[in-house]
Formats: sequence, C-alpha cells, structure tokens
Amino acid sequence: MRVSDKARIRQRRIIHGVLIFLSFSLMFLGKADLSALRNIRMGSSDFLAPFIDFVSAPIRGIETMVEGVRTVASLRAENVRLQGENDLLKRWRRRAEILESENRQLRSVTGAAAVKNRTQITARAVTAPGGGFAHTVLIAIGGEEGIVRGNPVVTADGLVGIVIDVGRAYARVLMISDINARIPVILSSSSWPGLSVGQNGQFLDLQFLPDEATPKIGELVLTSGHGGVLPNGLAVGRVDQIKDGKIRVRPAVDLRNLSYVSVLTGGLDGIDNSNLDLADFYTPLPIDDTTRLLEGLNSSGQRR
Amino acid sequence: MKDQRSYFERADFESDFPPQFLVSIVGVTIVLLELGFAQWPFFYGAAPVLSLIFIYYMNIYHEKYIPVFVIFLMGIVGDVLLSDLLGGRATAFLLLTYVMQHRLARLQQSDFGRLWLDFAVSCAAISLFQLLLFSALNLAIPSLSPILFQLGATLILFPIGFVIIFTVHRLLQKVKIV
Repeated sequence: MRVSDKARIRQRRIIHGVLIFLSFSLMFLGKADLSALRNIRMGSSDFLAPFIDFVSAPIRGIETMVEGVRTVASLRAENVRLQGENDLLKRWRRRAEILESENRQLRSVTGAAAVKNRTQITARAVTAPGGGFAHTVLIAIGGEEGIVRGNPVVTADGLVGIVIDVGRAYARVLMISDINARIPVILSSSSWPGLSVGQNGQFLDLQFLPDEATPKIGELVLTSGHGGVLPNGLAVGRVDQIKDGKIRVRPAVDLRNLSYVSVLTGGLDGIDNSNLDLADFYTPLPIDDTTRLLEGLNSSGQRR
Repeated sequence: MKDQRSYFERADFESDFPPQFLVSIVGVTIVLLELGFAQWPFFYGAAPVLSLIFIYYMNIYHEKYIPVFVIFLMGIVGDVLLSDLLGGRATAFLLLTYVMQHRLARLQQSDFGRLWLDFAVSCAAISLFQLLLFSALNLAIPSLSPILFQLGATLILFPIGFVIIFTVHRLLQKVKIV
C-alpha cells in the first residue's frame, strides 16, 4: 500500500468520525427545537421544494394516468353516485340555512360572541409523508402570503393539521396523524371532550375521554376549539373501532390523497405563536368544575 | 520528508472529483425521487428507501466514488424534507457505511443472493436503530406497520434498483465517464 493511499484512508476515517459525531449532535439539536436550526431547515426546504416538484413530475404523471383510466372505467357509476350526493347536499344546505338562522337568533338572545372569521387560502401539497417516523407535508404557500405558525389546514372533508414551520414560499404542516399531534376534540352526539392523538399510521387514538362517555362506532369527532388555535366544529374523523378501552378514529380526510389544502388564516389574535412549542401547545386543559367545556356547561355537564 | 512520488503521479491527472460530484448529484436526486414515490397513495407514509440501495451498491463496487460527505448529505436532505429526526437518517447511513467498510472484501466476492440477504439485515438494522432513537427521544412508539411495509418495499425493490444502477454504470463506462 502506498503512502498516499494510507493517508487517504486515514483522512477518510477522520472525516467519517467527524460526520457521525455531527449528525448525532444534530439529532439532539433538532430535538431542542432551536429557532436558528428551524430557520435553516425551512430555508433548505424552500430551496429544495422546486427540485422535488421537478423530479416527481414523471411519477405524478404516471399517477394521473392510472387515475384517469380508473375514472373513465367507473364514469357511469360515479355519475349516479354524484347525483345522489348532490340531492343529499341540497337537503343539507336547506337544513343548514334553517339552523344558521336559528343559531343567529339564539346568539342574539344569549349574547354569545360570534365565531371569529378566518380567511381560506388554497395551497398545493408538494410532498407527502414518506417515512414511518413523521407525518408532515410541505405546502406551496408561505410567509409571503401571510401564513403563520399555528394556522389550521383543512380540506372540504375536515382537518388535515396545523402549520408548524413557515418559510418564504413554503410551509410545513404537522398532520393530525403524526405522533406529536394532539387535538382537543369532542364527540359530536354526546359532546364529551377528549384528545385525538396521532400514531404515525392511518388511524388516530381517542384519549382522555371521561369514564361516562360512551362513544359509538361511526360517531363524528370534531375539534372542540379549546386553546383557541383551532376553530371548533372541524371534522377530525369518525370512531372506527372500540377495543379493550382503546378508541380508534379514522381521519375524516383521506390523508393519502392530498393534492390541495386550504389554510385558515387569522383567528390567532391574542395567541402567542412566536415560540410555539408543540408539547405545550397541545397540553389538555385542566378540568374542574369552573372549567367551561362547552358554551354554558361546566365539566360536570351542569348548566352554568 | 521529500515527496517520493513522480511528477506525473503528483499532478493527479485522473482526479476522482468529477465522478464523485456526479455521484453526489445522483444521490440527492434519488432522495428527491423517494419523496416523489411518497406521493403515491400506495406508499403513503412508507416510501421505499431507494437511497439506501444506492449507497449499498456504491459502497461495495465503487467505494472511492462515494465520499462519506455525500452519504451524510443524502441522509440530511432526507431528514430535512421528510422531517424525520434531523440527523437520524444521516447517522444510520454513516454507521452502515462504517460497518460495510470492514466487510468490504467479503461483500465484493458474494453472489447476489447473499448480497440481498445482507442488505435485508442492514435495512432491518437501520430501521431498528431509527425506531429506538425515535422512541427514546419522543418517549413514544410509533405504529410499526408502516415501518415494516417500508422495509418490505425496499427489499422488494432492491434487485430492480441493483440492475438499474449496474446498467447505468455500464453505460457510463462505455462513454468513459466513470
């Protein structure tokens, strides 16, 4: 072996050691959630996102082609289904108009504050979760359009997640299926509060439900609005399975087929999102008799 | 000490840098391609780790063209874009490379079946390493089915990836790039 080869091997080993140390250190620095590191990370995503678009164009093309063939094959059945759905939606619209009017009248009688309006901005999902350790997506909208951390992200079917990092032209969304996502929710029919917890899989866990709560299969799970970041009434999912005291929820949105999403901006007045620590962010509210869980009710379900 | 090498040897006319640069571009592109695959509903949350196939092949047959910095870069880019634990993938890739360097001679002489088996063990070890780190740092165990699916998909795609990289390499040899 030549002297130069030995030197090269030694040099390679030193670099190897340094890089292992560096990447190992990055794990802990990343976990510390330093804002500088977060900015670098989002800056890198801003830089790389257009390349992802370019590289994945052929893959998207194949997907579109397969989807097109499948759609053409089931066109007639799809048409019948959509007509039925349209009739149903027309009936629901009439019912919603009646309920909205009734709601307005009741609000004026009780003096309850109206829900803050949020503006919807539509964005394209650039990536999809690719690993089993994190469920986040990059969306093609960022700080330039007024997106801030904590903005809810939805589709027509329900909640997708919340914005956790904002770059210049792109933002990262933590999906409700991520293991770090904890959403305050209520059961639609009984109004019992709980916490939806992601599992980095296709389903969510419903936790911290009171013992008295009796969720039913198929029951809708909605955001409760606790904490003030997420508006109340957004569909999170439906109860899918109850087994050994564990309640499994199927997300309302088909998270595998996200092409476009809407970001709800505004409505974060008075909430400090400059140092948004997710662990604190999703901490459940303390429940005692003075805590108001729903309009006019305390934690025991008594009218105040 | 005076340098004993000849003038032409020191001049280093056959620099490794151009192929290394090419390999780094291809490596990062493969990571981006993984993200493209993740957009298929079939691979939701469990896209095959194509970059691992590439690193494995290059480490065995063209070690000098894949500097450790490129492996680190591929890991970090994957971590940043997939928002996995920052540095988790990079550490796993670098550790795999370190282990492979010590078994290089044996791997180079192995037949394809043995390589596939060795790759399966390496892949499982990396997934386990990431799972342990993730669980320790987050104090939670994620759903295991997507991780197992990802492992399976990567193993199934290994022969295809292997043949594609081998073919591309042969083509490059013909035009005398590598």
